Amino acid sequence: MSLLGRASVLCVAGAALGIAGNALTPRPSPLGTRVLPAAEAAGAACQDPRSTFARISVEEAKPLCIACTATFVDARSAAEYAAGHVTGALHLAPGEPVAPLLAKLQSSSAVIVYDRDRQCADADRVAAVLEANGVRDVRVLTGAWPEWLASGGPGESGSCSLCAAGTR
Amino acid sequence: MSARIVLACRVVLGALFIWAAIAKLPDMAAFAQDVANYRVVPAALVPFVAAAVVGIELLAGIALVSGWNSRAGAVVIAALLAVFTGFIAQALLRGIDLRCGCFGGDEPASWWTVLRDLAMLAAALAVARGAPETGGATHVPFFEPVRRSKEKN
Repeated sequence: MSLLGRASVLCVAGAALGIAGNALTPRPSPLGTRVLPAAEAAGAACQDPRSTFARISVEEAKPLCIACTATFVDARSAAEYAAGHVTGALHLAPGEPVAPLLAKLQSSSAVIVYDRDRQCADADRVAAVLEANGVRDVRVLTGAWPEWLASGGPGESGSCSLCAAGTR
Repeated sequence: MSARIVLACRVVLGALFIWAAIAKLPDMAAFAQDVANYRVVPAALVPFVAAAVVGIELLAGIALVSGWNSRAGAVVIAALLAVFTGFIAQALLRGIDLRCGCFGGDEPASWWTVLRDLAMLAAALAVARGAPETGGATHVPFFEPVRRSKEKN
């Protein structure tokens, strides 16, 4: 048999060995299911496992928004907030004063913070400030604003009426 | 090329590929995710490709180390390395930030990875051209070229 012929046989035998032996491995490759790139998987944005803040998915957060049982906080820029945000969300970017919003946030049974960043760095920073100011049950939205928008979550546009004047 | 260098390339390359395959076995699902992250293979085929690649790496590595069909094994490994290099280069050029998935673990894909793969590709081609082997079409004793060079001295 020619060299290429033997290489082809070796290749086919190796592929068969790998696929047949896959099931015997501790965490097998999920044959028969579609594996998407990590960045395209549901909730891929804003999922930093090192964070100490609890995460909440868009699917879990949407009913809380519709029932008004959670307060949403948008940690993006004022311009991004004005262009579109979760219905009823307050705007609080990292480094901005939290005092004008504290009364509303402290009376909420749950607060959900979101941003647009894949590592949810801004949402985590704002969540840390809220928790330090006595706000209860602060969570960060996985998937952030892009996934909320893509899933058809309730949204609106415009500036934040409750937020401090001149800082938004 | 010296028979000793070809022999060294063959054994080291084979051992590297056996190691690469074994390192992936504990978490094949993670390797499938690494393959998907290159955004080249269709999502439905990714798990099959991941499992097949590990099997091919293992068998070709064994062929190189043992000397059984080592030239065919080197051709397979050269083809794998050409594909790996292409995958990594296209991901880097498209700005995709990902783990290379080369030896399991969290090693990031970089131009250094491309250079390393090209060096291994050169070694695989050298073995494919000149390695003695047992079995297959050309039956040559395992260490024959080395023994001949000793006899000359």
